[in-house]
Formats: sequence, structure tokens, C-alpha cells
Amino acid sequence: MEFDELQQIWDAQNNEPLWAINEKALHNRILSKKKQASHITNISELLLIIVNLGAGSFVLGVNLLKQNRNIFMYLMAAWMFATFLYSLLSRIRRIKGTRRFDRSMHGDLNHAISVATYQVRLSQIMRWNIFPIGALSILSAWQGGKLFWVAILIGIAVALVWYAGNWEHSIYKTRKRELEILQKKLETKD
Amino acid sequence: MTEKEQLTILEKWLGLHKGLIFKIVRAYAVSVMDQDDLFQEIIIRVWHSIPTFRNESAATTWLYRISLNTAISWTRKERKHYQAETLDHVQHILLENKTPVDERLLWLYKEIYKLDEIDRSVILLLLDGFSYKEMAAILGISESNVGVKINRIKKQLTGKSKNYDYYGI
Repeated sequence: MEFDELQQIWDAQNNEPLWAINEKALHNRILSKKKQASHITNISELLLIIVNLGAGSFVLGVNLLKQNRNIFMYLMAAWMFATFLYSLLSRIRRIKGTRRFDRSMHGDLNHAISVATYQVRLSQIMRWNIFPIGALSILSAWQGGKLFWVAILIGIAVALVWYAGNWEHSIYKTRKRELEILQKKLETKD
Repeated sequence: MTEKEQLTILEKWLGLHKGLIFKIVRAYAVSVMDQDDLFQEIIIRVWHSIPTFRNESAATTWLYRISLNTAISWTRKERKHYQAETLDHVQHILLENKTPVDERLLWLYKEIYKLDEIDRSVILLLLDGFSYKEMAAILGISESNVGVKINRIKKQLTGKSKNYDYYGI
């Protein structure tokens, strides 16, 4: 077949659509799904912001109410507030950055890659963030005269979070790689 | 823009251009469940995009861009079938037309499906009559790059169609 013939076969379907739409079902799905469309990045950013602000305030509050104030708990609260600020600023910068991309498939891919790069960087930073938090928790437990096994438990928790962070980080890295392959396919002149 | 206005535009676009979305769904998803899922995904994205549509481009160009991007990212996620849902529980959005379909068209869709995600977009745009300039704008690549890709894909498809002729399927 020549290409013109393929074109005719293709055009013939315009007279007879492949499907009909069940409009009631479609309407129901739109209503149930439109709220779920917010991106995973949005959720993880908001979680980071809320958790760090909440936990930092809690640690600071508890320490202020205690009679024997603990320097390491102050440091931990300060660290959490710094993480909260960093996450907030990164989020603002990311949202502002979305206007840079043109409205084409290439632009959308570039945008997706930029979001993926951001996710990779954020997950990497948050993965390493567990060490200062863990160290400060152990030190404050030690200064508060807690038992040795409390430090061990904190250590185990840190290891588990590190492991989970690694897993999450590798997912983002794979996603980014896939997008870059796709972009290369689009750009390549073959 | 109110939700009602958004829905009115969506319904209008669906009435006029649903065939365009059907073709993309058919080219990117094979099973009934996947087709339903992809169609739904595209409609949700189109719905979200309506407030940002500024009439700078034709609605078809806009719909094509959103639909192709959704189809490509949907393919990347490799979501195939919902294990938890059985056919009995799902309220299908796409209802198959009972009229017989040209065997050659089914063959063409099969061959298009074998192409990679980017080439599939290119051939769909070409078959639906977009110019090189429009295709370059939708894809965000140069017209010459579009031309190179089209030549290769055309050669590939017409080459395969010779086997189809030969076996007389």
C-alpha cells in the first residue's frame, strides 16, 4: 500500500466513530477524579512544610515548658525551622518556574524533567536531613539522661527512614531518566 | 471561570472533537480497561486545562497537545489493567460501536502501536492532516526534524503494508 491509501483508510473512520461516550459515567468520573489530580510533588512539599513546622514548634514548646532545658532540643527545633523555610522557598521558586516552559510537547517534557530534577534534589536533601535530626535526637536523649536503648531505638528509626528515603529517591531518579530518554527521542534527527 | 462554564466548554469540545481523542486512545492503549482509563485521564487533563486556553491556537491543536502528552505520560507509567476492579464493577465510559470496522484500519492501528511513543504522536498528527508547521509547534521541535521523522515513519509503514498486501489478510 502507498501512503495515500493508508491515509484513505484512516480518514474513513471519521464517518464512524470508534466509540460512543457514556456521558453519565464520564461526568461521575470527572467529579470524583478532579480533586485527585494534584501532583505528588505538591503533596510531598506540603507534607515537608507542615511536618517540619509542626515538629519544630512542638520540640521548641516542650523544651520551653521543661525545667531542665536541653540545648540539643533547641538546635533540633532550629534545624526543623530551617528545613521548613527551605521547603517553603523551594516550593515558591518551583511554582514561579512553571511559567518558563512553552506550550508544546517539548516544553511539557522540559517542564516534567525540571519537576523530576526538583524531586530528585529534594528527596536527596531530605534523605541526608535524617542524619542531623537523628544525631540531635540521640544527643538530646543523652543530655536528658535517657537510657542507652533509647539511643539504639533512635538509631534504628534513622536507618529505616534512610532506607525508605533511598527507595523513594531511586523512584524519582528512574522517572527522570525515562523522561530524558523521551526528550532525546523527540529531539533526535534520525 | 466557574465549574459550570468549564463543563460546558468540555462538553462542546467533546461533541466536536471526540473522534480526535478516540484515535489517540486507540493508538496508545490496547485493552478495553486501558482505553477507558486513558480516555478518562485525557478528559481530566483537558478539563483542568480549559481555564488556561486563550484562543491563541485552535481547539483541535490544543486538544491534540494535551491528549498526546497525557497519552505519553500514561504509557510511561505502564498502568495496565486494574487488578482490583473487575469488569462487572466498572462503569465503562467508552461504549463500543457495533458497526464492523475495516480490517485494514485495525492493522494500521496495530502498526502505529508498535512505534515508539514519539513516533506515534508524529504519525497521528500527520494522518489527521496537521501541517509540518503545526506539528512542529505541537511537538516543540523544528520543521526539518518533523520532516525527517515523517519520512522515516512513512517508509516504515508503507514497507510493512507490502507484507500485508502479500499475505492478503
